[in-house]
Amino acid sequence: MLRTLISLLIGLAIGLGIGLYLGWVQFPVVYTESPASLLDQRFKDEYTVMIAAGYLADRDLQGAVGRLRVLDLDNIPDYVQRLTERFISESRDFRNIQYLVALSVGLGRDAGALYDPFREVTLP
Amino acid sequence: MTESRRSSRYERPRYPISFTALILGVVIGIAGGLFYAWNLAPTEEFNTEPWQLRADDQAHYVVAIMLNYAYDSDLALAVTRLAQLRPPVDPIQYVADVACDLARSGYVNDNSGLTAIRAMMRFYQGQGRTGCADQLIPAAEGPIATEALIIAATPTLPPPPTKTATPSGSPQLTPTTEIRAPSTPAPQSAFQSINPTTFCDPEFAGVIEIYVRDGRGQPVPGQPIRVVWADGESLFFTGLQPLRGLDYADFQMTPNTGYTVEMPGLSEPTNQLIASTCVSADGTETITSYRVIFIPR
Repeated sequence: MLRTLISLLIGLAIGLGIGLYLGWVQFPVVYTESPASLLDQRFKDEYTVMIAAGYLADRDLQGAVGRLRVLDLDNIPDYVQRLTERFISESRDFRNIQYLVALSVGLGRDAGALYDPFREVTLP
Repeated sequence: MTESRRSSRYERPRYPISFTALILGVVIGIAGGLFYAWNLAPTEEFNTEPWQLRADDQAHYVVAIMLNYAYDSDLALAVTRLAQLRPPVDPIQYVADVACDLARSGYVNDNSGLTAIRAMMRFYQGQGRTGCADQLIPAAEGPIATEALIIAATPTLPPPPTKTATPSGSPQLTPTTEIRAPSTPAPQSAFQSINPTTFCDPEFAGVIEIYVRDGRGQPVPGQPIRVVWADGESLFFTGLQPLRGLDYADFQMTPNTGYTVEMPGLSEPTNQLIASTCVSADGTETITSYRVIFIPR
């Protein structure tokens, strides 16, 4: 009887380990119906870049702010400026930085000389 | 002489563990582990991708992609981004479907939403797709100005006399050039409102019902309607409540507030419509409602 009980307990311990590995690592819960605020940071970045490009297309600042609101940000201008500076620091795609700089400046967050190389220029 | 004896279970050496119990334990353990990992303590949500978003946030993501496309016209990039949403249909038709849903919602109540849906429409229409937004949203706000060719041939006055003799001649014409210029826009008051009628119904208290019809009395969907009051205004379109009619739109008034209704750029505003108190046929006190019909002037 004791032998059976010990075997059962050993089996339980092994099975529990396997079950947790499968449930947490191999086949973790996949979430759907998630809010945009839980997007992975790289998709949040991409979303913001797209909104910034949209701002350049329609110059609708309120619209851009409204669209960024879905990310559930505390301070949208601050977020855009920090993202812009991060993109510049990480030497990201030049065009994307231009979009972000335009939006950041539009939101009243102008980082001065840091933004200068990425500002819109009007060719003669 | 050795006696061969058949081995008996009672004579085999006994293993220190019971395999039956062990396997049973493993099975129960796996089931318990999975239950715990999936239900009681699931992994924290992280690395969420666009396809995992709820429907309305996926629509926002589509809008962002389309606004980006409106600026850079990079079709490949737009389609790649759309594919991240794992759409159930082809990505371009998916945009048409999302635009349709948004056009039916309150998303078009402001200019930002309208701009976004038009960007989506340009995208899918350019790829030969259609959607219900085509009927619900006008292609452009206000009268559509068409371009016309004007042949400009302006006579040039002869230059003033100089000391050098200038051969006299008839006025010279500049070379004929083609200049594209916008045609004269349509009259600003293409529509007029029939005198608003009032009704007093507790089920439709304080509502402005608006209808836009063409010269034959047929419904005209997708027409812009603007309601203006002291502190603000609201822009919306006819046909967004198809069950009430393709020419229908409505607006909920606040009691004791005055409103004017117009088709921006297409009609003059109505007189003030006051959300005053009225008494219905069954004696219930409620708010006056109005019915405004716009027809071509």
